[in-house]
Amino acid sequence: MTAMATSQPTSKVPALKAIWRQTGFAPILFVVLLAINIFINPARFSPSAWGTLIGLAAPLVGAAIASAPAILGGRGGIDISVGPIMGFVNAIVVLVLIQKLGLTSPFIVVGAAVLIGAAIGALNGFMATILRIQPIVATLGTYLLLVGTTLTILPAPTGTVPVWLKSLGGPLSILPLGAVFLIWIGIRRLPYYDHLMAVGSDDRAAYTAGIPVTLVRFLSYVITGVFAGVAGLMMTALIGSADPSIGPTYTLIAISAVALGGVSLAGGRGGLLGAAIGAIDIFLLQSALTFFNFSTFVLQIAYGAILVIAIVLTALQDRWLGRMRGAA
Amino acid sequence: MTRLTSDQARVLGALIVAVALHLTGTALIEGYSSEFSMRAMLVLGSLLAIASIGQTLVVIIGGIDLSIPFVIGFANVVTAQLYGGGMNFALVCLIVVGLACLIGALNGLISSSLKLHPLIVTLGIGTIVQGSVLLWTGGFPSGSAPDSITEFVSIGGSVGFLPVPWLVPCFVALAAIVTVALARTAYGRRLFALGSNPRAAPLALIHPVAMWTATFAISAAFAAVTGILLLGFTGSAYGEVGQPYLFQTIAAVVIGGTALVGGRGSYLGTVAGALVLTEINTLLIGIGLQPSLVQAVLGVVIVVLVSFYGRDAHVRTTI
Amino acid sequence: MSDNPVSLSVLGLSLKPGAVSFDQEIRRGEIVGLAGLDGHGQDAFIETMAGLRPPVAGHVNAGAKADRVIRSFRQAVRSGIAYLPRDRRATGIFPSMSILDNFAIATVGRDRKLGLISPAERRKRYDYYRDRLSIVAPDPGRMITTLSGGNQQKVLLARALAHKPDVLLLNDPTRGVDIATRRVLYSVFRELAAEGMALVILSTEIEEALVLCDRILVFREQELAASLEGAERSSERIISTMFGRAA
Repeated sequence: MTAMATSQPTSKVPALKAIWRQTGFAPILFVVLLAINIFINPARFSPSAWGTLIGLAAPLVGAAIASAPAILGGRGGIDISVGPIMGFVNAIVVLVLIQKLGLTSPFIVVGAAVLIGAAIGALNGFMATILRIQPIVATLGTYLLLVGTTLTILPAPTGTVPVWLKSLGGPLSILPLGAVFLIWIGIRRLPYYDHLMAVGSDDRAAYTAGIPVTLVRFLSYVITGVFAGVAGLMMTALIGSADPSIGPTYTLIAISAVALGGVSLAGGRGGLLGAAIGAIDIFLLQSALTFFNFSTFVLQIAYGAILVIAIVLTALQDRWLGRMRGAA
Repeated sequence: MTRLTSDQARVLGALIVAVALHLTGTALIEGYSSEFSMRAMLVLGSLLAIASIGQTLVVIIGGIDLSIPFVIGFANVVTAQLYGGGMNFALVCLIVVGLACLIGALNGLISSSLKLHPLIVTLGIGTIVQGSVLLWTGGFPSGSAPDSITEFVSIGGSVGFLPVPWLVPCFVALAAIVTVALARTAYGRRLFALGSNPRAAPLALIHPVAMWTATFAISAAFAAVTGILLLGFTGSAYGEVGQPYLFQTIAAVVIGGTALVGGRGSYLGTVAGALVLTEINTLLIGIGLQPSLVQAVLGVVIVVLVSFYGRDAHVRTTI
Repeated sequence: MSDNPVSLSVLGLSLKPGAVSFDQEIRRGEIVGLAGLDGHGQDAFIETMAGLRPPVAGHVNAGAKADRVIRSFRQAVRSGIAYLPRDRRATGIFPSMSILDNFAIATVGRDRKLGLISPAERRKRYDYYRDRLSIVAPDPGRMITTLSGGNQQKVLLARALAHKPDVLLLNDPTRGVDIATRRVLYSVFRELAAEGMALVILSTEIEEALVLCDRILVFREQELAASLEGAERSSERIISTMFGRAA
């Protein structure tokens, strides 16, 4: 009875509840961390500096968003090659396109990044869905291949980027991020999105209902690849050069952000907004801890602890909501 | 002769690949089968195989353990630090392995009791562990390894007339123990059952949370053992020493035919997988590839090998 | 039969908040059937007796008195209550394991010699049930999935019987099982009862319950609607009770 009574007021705001269900504790964490950051470091977080902040956060947000689609497809779907894709795009764009071939036109550079991402995504999708190698193993193969190749063509940091690309590392980084979100909003309006979520939550039922499970999952890897390509571009804009060591570091942190943002690693639950908020949380956390001059060691502990605590709380909240539904 | 089961065929397949790689190496590279090179491969392969014991068990139960490299680094640094501080080495090992067990138990407990994906839990806990170690040592671990452990893993060591260090025969004995434990103990059979059908397991009197907690604790314990052995191998502590083992343990398990979906596999397969990885590494470096290219080729090889026998079932066959 | 000692009893049991509670005693050698429309409480009842779900009110006891209350599945097994689940594929078999493993897994401790499982001991135990249940499996080392549905079910029944229970709870044991196997199972059930075991069989087929059971409990809306014995057991009676048109 008490459970029913408490469920009454929340059901009046279904939209809020839906967001809460979809993103877990990430928005609360976001508000708290933002408040802390503004309080301790008003200059860095003043409205005039937001552009810079967005630029700093953009690659991580991009990496998190990119990681989500493959995970949403379920049955162990995951792409751990997102970071290396970013690093590979970074190397190709700066080293080959800009430095060797002198091609600096935005159309070519953006087109190349998207194409590279799509091609690697298709390779991952082919291995994970058609060859049916377990996704973590298949993308581990891609991970090693890309990291190795990137290091071979680019043994040490080098190069510069054109002005237009450099400017995307600042306030204008909202453009590529916005573009990715627009694409995703477009995808959400397609039947494909429903298929992806259906496949992610119960692939057998989806298959019996006539959904082309293999194709749906394959495309989720391609989308992940394209988004990772764009994230690689954002990373290139931020660092303004080619650096083989930065890209791969994004993989695990992006997957953490996705989990933090309430995306179930079992598939079929969550969304890109949650992933993005999860990424911003991690960014704000890093930002706050760096301000206190804590060493990167403390940063690491705090980051691990918050990750574990947040997913534990999300799981407990799920149970609680589940019990409430059961009682109602 | 009886027909091979598909599991046995996979182990045999991995072993054949290892032998083929070795023959290729011997044909292509001078000194590939020299005594020193063989000893080095045996030591490196043994270390990888010990680090992969836990990953094998965890994968059979249907999980994955990303905390192995962090626990290896933890054990490596803490052992050096404590031993360097004058503590008795046996006591140091006891403390380090005990703490590792607690870390692992926490991994398993959180993952199974809250039904959270172990990938993210072990990553989070691993990060905390690594951060704590770095914080404790200020990023510059000190201390040293006792001579006994250095000798135990030394490539130049020998056991009586055997031209290998004690590590190798000890590892062979350990591998036999693990294999027997998987096949002939209640724990081993329950491990496979739980991985095979988690919903049926409680009805067969299997306690999922207890099994996960114990298995992840065992995994961390062997990661700690690897960390201590690596301290002997390299001579000084290094927090990142475990990093190559993150993907290599998974690769060894998968190449050995243990399915990531749980319920099937063998430690013998993992040992074969560890041999394959060691052979590939030695071979590629031997023909003069840069470490970066070695990595790239390794990625391709893993995928190719697994696509031969590690493929999942199509969704239509699971209905 | 009503003089036989009580093997399992429920006292003041409710399956749903507000539902009328009931008492039941199940005696040695008795075969009790559970019937009802899908989801009307017979499932909840058998799972409650197995210790798989806590009763809303009242309790289940191994034996007649309230001193051996069943609170968990493990405790139920320890108290001599074995349970055969309904969905063979979802909660029964371990698909990647052998027939022998599937049989022995729940009683894996019994084959131990010097701490290790003795294959000979395990094989001996299996062979007893193979003969008894006439399991058709040329090589027990093969995967359980190589067996027909009926033989898989026999292996699962053997797993339950290996507990040597006093009470055997069977949740729709003949679902998806061929006619020949059904006959075998029926005669096994009768033999077990004759040896003194108490059996509770949830059946979705009224004919089956009529053929097998001494007594049939009919459930409706999470309550015990009728307990039919002897001449009262007729399909008309059961069906009308199931639909709540009871006289």
